Amino acid sequence: MDEHKDYTGSKLGMWLFLLSEILLFGGLFILYSMYRYKHPVDFHLAAWELSRPLGTLNTLILLTSSLTMAFSIASLRRGDYRISKLFIIATIFLGFLFLGIKTIEWGAKIEHGIYPNSPRLLGRSKGEILFFGLYYSMTGLHALHILVGLLVLSIMFFLMIRGRINKDHCVPLENSGLYWHLVDIVWIFLFPLFYLIT
Amino acid sequence: MSYGTYFWVWAGLIILTGTTVSLAGMQLGRWAIVLPLLIAGTKSGLILSYFMHLRSEKLLIFKVIIPLVMAVFLVFILLTFSDVAFRLGGAK
Repeated sequence: MDEHKDYTGSKLGMWLFLLSEILLFGGLFILYSMYRYKHPVDFHLAAWELSRPLGTLNTLILLTSSLTMAFSIASLRRGDYRISKLFIIATIFLGFLFLGIKTIEWGAKIEHGIYPNSPRLLGRSKGEILFFGLYYSMTGLHALHILVGLLVLSIMFFLMIRGRINKDHCVPLENSGLYWHLVDIVWIFLFPLFYLIT
Repeated sequence: MSYGTYFWVWAGLIILTGTTVSLAGMQLGRWAIVLPLLIAGTKSGLILSYFMHLRSEKLLIFKVIIPLVMAVFLVFILLTFSDVAFRLGGAK
C-alpha cells in the first residue's frame, strides 16, 4: 500500500507554524519599541556597548547559511544527493559558527559584569537594565531557535543518508528550509534594532 | 529556481547588509530608525519571495499568508501604541 503524502498540506501546516513564530517574536519587538520610546537616551547609550563587527559578521554568516540551505534543496530536487548533503553540512557548520560567535559576544558581556540581575547592571539606569534584559531574552530566544534548527537539519541529514528523503519526497527538507529562512529573517530585524540603531 | 538566481539574491542581501551597516555611522536624524527597518523589510521580502519560494507558489493562500499576518501584527502595534500613548496623560 502506498503511503499517503499531502505535499500542499504539510507545507501549509509549516507556514501556519511560522506565522505563530512571527507573532511570538513580533510581541517582543513591540515590547522593545515601547521601552525604547520611553527610554530613548538609555537605549542609545546601551546600544553603543554592543559589538557591531560581531553582529555584522553573524548577519553575513546567517545569510550565507540561507544560501547553502536553498542550494541543498535545489540539488535534492535535481537528484544530486551528494551535493545536497554537502550543502546541508555547510548550513549546519555555519549555524554552529553563528552560535560560537554569539557565545563569545555574550561571554565578553558577562565578563564585564553585564548579565540579567548582575549587581553591576542593577546599578545602572532603568532603561539600560531594560535594554540588556531585552538583548539577552531576544537574542537568547533566537539562538534557541538556531539550536532547534541545527537539530532538525541533523535529522534531515540522517534521513537523507538512509534515502528516506529523496527527489520524490523532499517536503521534510523543504519545510526545514522554510524554518531556517524564517529564523534568518528574525535575525535580520534583531540586528539593526540592537546593533545599528543607536 | 536555479542556483544562479539564489546566488544573486544572496549577493543582494549582502549588499543591503553593507548599506545598512555604513548608514549606521551617519547622522540621519529620524531616518536613522526608518531606513534600517526599510532595509530589513526589503531583505525579508527577498528571502520570502526567493528562498522561501512564495514568488512561485500558485495557490492563493500562500500569496495572502504574509500580508495577513502583517495585518494582524499591525493591529497589535496600534493597540499597544494607543495604550502607551494615552497612559498617564500621554507624552512620556
